Formats: sequence, structure tokens, C-alpha cells
Amino acid sequence: MKKPALRYLIVIATAALLQYTVVTQFRILGVSADLFLVIAIATGMIGGAERGAIVGFASGLCLDLMVTTPFGLCAISGLVAGVVAGLLEDATVHSARWLTMAIAFIASVAGILSFAVTGTLLARPDLLSGHLFTILVIVGVASAALVFPALRACRWADSEDSLLRAAAR
Amino acid sequence: MASLRRRGRARITISLLLLSAVLLLTLDSRGSGPVQSARSAVLSVLSPLGSAAATVVNPFRNAWNSAFDQGNLKKENETLREENDRLKGDVTANSIAKEQLQQLLQLVGIPFVGDTPVVHTRVVTGAVGNFGDRIELDKGSNAGIERNMPVVTGEGLIGKVIEVSENRSVVSLLSSGTYRVGFSVVGTAAIGIAQGSGGDGSLRGSNIDSRQAVTVGAITATSGLAGSPFPPNLPIGTVTAVRTNEAELESTVDISMFANLNSLIYADVVLWKPAG
Repeated sequence: MKKPALRYLIVIATAALLQYTVVTQFRILGVSADLFLVIAIATGMIGGAERGAIVGFASGLCLDLMVTTPFGLCAISGLVAGVVAGLLEDATVHSARWLTMAIAFIASVAGILSFAVTGTLLARPDLLSGHLFTILVIVGVASAALVFPALRACRWADSEDSLLRAAAR
Repeated sequence: MASLRRRGRARITISLLLLSAVLLLTLDSRGSGPVQSARSAVLSVLSPLGSAAATVVNPFRNAWNSAFDQGNLKKENETLREENDRLKGDVTANSIAKEQLQQLLQLVGIPFVGDTPVVHTRVVTGAVGNFGDRIELDKGSNAGIERNMPVVTGEGLIGKVIEVSENRSVVSLLSSGTYRVGFSVVGTAAIGIAQGSGGDGSLRGSNIDSRQAVTVGAITATSGLAGSPFPPNLPIGTVTAVRTNEAELESTVDISMFANLNSLIYADVVLWKPAG
């Protein structure tokens, strides 16, 4: 269990570095991809809702340290995205590339919506603006596109536990 | 049975994490010190990496921006050409008026805001999150920058400094909606308070006396009234919509910021602090 935790830390740290230095520079209509959300989604799809929640919460906290929105908002967003991805993956009976992308899109939308709604409840009504729709679409599409490399990274981080779970079944 | 137990454990874990998040939000809303310290520490660690990466990434970013913003750039270019021609004619008249105004201000002892020193900075990183709330500049307290100083581009006000380290400052953008700015409508006596309403450079202005005639297209600038954290006459944007509530004698307006927050490369920090 310790090794996956360490590996997930490496994955999150790499995502943080890439998000900070590269990803934020490339924007469409002012919106960039959210690697923290993608990591939470990929973990949820591989390790289930519980692991998705834990990694999503951790990666969200990491993002919370880099923005000025209330501390904990991104953690909730990552948690929700990880749980939704895990639940949807569990509910699907067969796997297909388009299905994986659809799950990533939906989980991403759920994560961002939870961020905006919770933020609004915390006296930040600006988070539920017209710009939110643009963010939902662009981040959702980016998450769907980036979920495959993220799945690879998370499989690497999760390798030992995945094997144990497969054996337990 | 094992599956049920696993699900039960998952529910408990998720609930505990949610409770932790709520606890963190509560602590932050009460102004917890450790959160600010942790954010500053992360900024100090990541800043050098951001600078190095910006040097490598900038050419690609510029290509990316021109690919996704070409339509807007052409339109903006045409508008700027027209405006440039018109402004050339105004320059001569304005320079005379400015001289007269400076003389008058000197006579009554009011500092002229155009002479306030500024620190030229480069934007190192844009907003990390998608609710475009902050950017980082490559200069800090060593250059005389302090918290709450206004930040502008050649087009107008973009925000204020919220964190400063020796060689870095973090700017909270006006569009973030986390603070408000007092504004006046140029050419009228109307004043109001504007606040960001999303990451797209739009603001919502309120508390305007409905008896004042504010029209679409009017220019807004900081009012700089007593106690304001911004000096007067920093351009903000143009009015894009006006709504009047006759019953409450109040108008609200939508303002489109002059500065394009999506392609910030340079910014100036105005070395200005509110009096008192």
C-alpha cells in the first residue's frame, strides 16, 4: 500500500509541475486543461470510487495551494470527479475508447460543477457565471483527450494494488 | 458480503474526506495563517521553475494564441487603426489640456496620477486554475512592490497585488470577483461599485444613481474616492449594458474590461498606496 501512495505522490507532483509551467500557457477562450482533475478521474476509473476520492482530494489540495479561491474548493472538485468516474466505470459492463472518454467528460463536468456550486454557497457568486459553460465544455473535452496518458500514469502508480484486487476477485 | 463491506468502507472514506474539505473551507474563511504561508511557500518553490519554463514555452504559446485568437486579433487590429487615427488628432489638443491641468493640480496641491511611478513587469504564469483569478509577475518587494498596489496594462486596470515575495508578486485579477472597485463614468457625475462576474473580463457595476444618464459605450475609470484602494482615473472598461430600477432609483451596468486578460504578457504595478 505504501508504494502506490508514493507513486501517486510522484504522479500528482508531476501533474502540478506540468500544470504550472506548461498547461496554463495554452488556453482556448481563456480556459486550459486541468491535469489535477484528469488524474482524479483516471484514478477513479482504475481504482474505484474510494481511491478516486482519496487521490482526487489530494490532487485538489495541491491545486488549492496554487490558486486564491477558498482553500478546500478544489479538493471537493477532485473528490467529486474521482468518485463519479469510479461509479460510472463500475456501472459499465464493457469497455470502449469512446466510453472511457465519455466517462472522463462527465466526471470532469461533475467536478467543475461541484466547485462552482460550493463556491457560490461560500459567497462567490461569480463562479456560476456565463463563463462556466465555456469552462465545462473545454475542460471536459480536454479531460476526455488527456485521460489515456493519465490512465497509463495511474496504472503505473496503482500496479501492485491492481494486481492484488484482480487476484482477490 | 465482502463487496458490501467494501462499499461501506468507501462511503465512510468519502464522507470523512468531504468533512475534511468542509473543515478546511471553514478554517480558510476565518483567515487561517498556515494556508497563506503554505501558498507563499509553494509560490517560492515553483516560481523559478515557472520562469525557466516560460522562456521555453513562450514561442509555442504565442503561436497557440495566434491560432486560436486570429479572428479577434484581426478585428482588434482594425479597431485599433481607426482609433489610432482619431487619437492622433486628439493628442495635440490633449497635451495642451494636460499641461493646463498639471498647472492647476500643482496650484491646489493634488498629485497628478499620470506621474505616479510604475514598475514594469513580465507575466510569468497565467492563472493556474480555470476561474482565472490570479497571475504572477516577475518582480516583487525588491522592486518596491507591496500588497494591494494596483496593476495595469497599457489598456487599463487589471487587478491588484495580493502576495509579494522578494522577486515575485501575485496579482488577483479584477475579473475574479473577490474584491470591488469604485468607478466613475467619464463625462458624467455617475459613480458606482464594480465587481468581477466571471473569468471573461466582464464586470457588474451597481449602486449608480439612476438619475445620472449612463449610456452604452461610456468609458469607466477608477473613482479614487476617499478610502479607495485604487487611485483615480485608471481606465477600467466600457459600459455594455445599462439596467435601471426606477423604484430603487438605482442603475446597474455591465462593463467590458479594456484589458484582454487572456493574453497578458506585460503588466505595470502602480507604486501607489491609499492615503492614511
